[in-house]
Amino acid sequence: MLLATMLYRVSHLTVGLLAVLQHQRDQPAHYAALFVALALSVLLFGTALRRGWFDRRFLWADILVNGATLPLALCAWGGADQSAELGWVMLLGTSSSAAAAVVLRRWTLLGAVALLALTHLLGYRLVSAGTAVILGHTNSLLFSAAMAWTFWWYLRRQGRMLDDANARTLAAEARKARYAERLEHHLMLHDTVLATLTTLASGSVDANSPHVRERCAREAARLRRLIQQTADEEAHQSIAEALEGAVADAERLRLRVTVQCHALPEVPSEVATALADAVREALNNVRRHAGTDHAYVTATGDASRRSVRVTVVDRGPGFDPRNYEPGLGLRRSVHDRMAQVGGRAVLDTAPGEGVRVELRWPG
Amino acid sequence: MAGVITVALVDDDRMLTDGMRSWLGDQPQLRLVSTAATVGRLLEPAPPAAPYAPADVVLLDLRLRDDSTPGENIRRLLHSGSRVLVISTVPDRTQVIASIRAGADGYLTKDNDLPTLVAAIEDVAAGRGAHSPELAFACAHDDSPSRPRLSPRERQVLLDYASGMTLKSAARRAGITVHTAKDYLNRVKAKYRQAGRPTYTKIDLARVVREDSLDDG
Repeated sequence: MLLATMLYRVSHLTVGLLAVLQHQRDQPAHYAALFVALALSVLLFGTALRRGWFDRRFLWADILVNGATLPLALCAWGGADQSAELGWVMLLGTSSSAAAAVVLRRWTLLGAVALLALTHLLGYRLVSAGTAVILGHTNSLLFSAAMAWTFWWYLRRQGRMLDDANARTLAAEARKARYAERLEHHLMLHDTVLATLTTLASGSVDANSPHVRERCAREAARLRRLIQQTADEEAHQSIAEALEGAVADAERLRLRVTVQCHALPEVPSEVATALADAVREALNNVRRHAGTDHAYVTATGDASRRSVRVTVVDRGPGFDPRNYEPGLGLRRSVHDRMAQVGGRAVLDTAPGEGVRVELRWPG
Repeated sequence: MAGVITVALVDDDRMLTDGMRSWLGDQPQLRLVSTAATVGRLLEPAPPAAPYAPADVVLLDLRLRDDSTPGENIRRLLHSGSRVLVISTVPDRTQVIASIRAGADGYLTKDNDLPTLVAAIEDVAAGRGAHSPELAFACAHDDSPSRPRLSPRERQVLLDYASGMTLKSAARRAGITVHTAKDYLNRVKAKYRQAGRPTYTKIDLARVVREDSLDDG
């Protein structure tokens, strides 16, 4: 609408220029009026183009000066005494009213258009124009405003409808993503918890057998992790998801794992994979050497430094680190794996005190 | 019956109360004296039952279905003269912290084994307070603005204990004795209780009510 009203004004200025050049070559007042009109137009539309929308002050200046004052001024000093000589400057009022229609609210708009109409009637009265000229001009003045207003209203309505449609599409996509995630959880639950519960309910297995109890405990642990992961919405999921794989593997091999996570940062995927590989190997060591069926995996992050620390702890017999020759697993799969991605692994143990493997990234 | 610890259980899962009855039934040093689905029902049993005699330790489920908040439940139980050990299926950290602030003596998830549970009940009954990695983790990673200030040593022991290490190993790592390490954990808990001590101005009461209703969500 900015561009449309500006083009409207440019056409009127062109008419003005031609009219002045043709008929009023020797009348400085008309040149002055043209200059004023041009200057105000540049001010109004130039600032509007730069800022993206009209400045009300300049619009009012345009309405009052170009629309209301110039016609009367030309009558008074420009020696205009025929309606034809006044025609070009009257046109400016119609483009003023068009601009007013897209900027001003209802009552101020009506006031501005009424003001323009009255001064123009007065101007034509002063040059005693014919009724047809007066009616025709008033008509175009009012309809410039009405058309501009209608276009603007239509465009805004279309814009709103488009925005609504976009918002609806985005909401639908978010819903779809949530649904996909829920479905994934449901499928996982279906294959594990639901299958176990259904079998137990059917009475076909002995619920108290060690095998069934183990399976129930494993699935309960998994559900617990799922709930906590979902509750911790601010945390990024890449590390938690990678660790979940390692933990699930260990649980299948009958190790009970207590997992706790806090404020995990987003890390490159190879770092998440390296952490998970190292945790998998550390858990393997617990299972093989620690003589306990319980391990603790704790992953915490420092969001400001984008660092992460994962510990794998058991409460088994531990060993004396002075007599320690790292086995292939710890050395290659834990130390080397962490070093590859710029991380570090630290081992801490003493006889009778369990083993603590700490993984840090960056190292 | 000297030396026998009386235990009450507030949990609205019937299967769990049955399971707990059979679990604790095998423990000569513990006696489960009453179970109820809500704290109100425990403190004021329906007429045919004998009036409630406060148990030494009440096991309280963190999340009950009667719209009560852990804070409110714990304050009522403490007022009745019992100590409180909170249990739950999932460690909702905000609620765990709220429980300790309200004066609970310990917190455990329900997946712990029987020896751990029995040891915790005995610790709570003896007034020592029970510690668990899940409680330590909730305190160590509490980032609410009203958290108490911990010294670096307290924090290190708390973090190591939260990561699953035994108190003995955490003490060795910090270069202190087990007693000192346990003292640190007790101090952390005491700081939370201090910060959560009931206050009696109207504004403070309004704040407590607000916090409790937030906790509820």
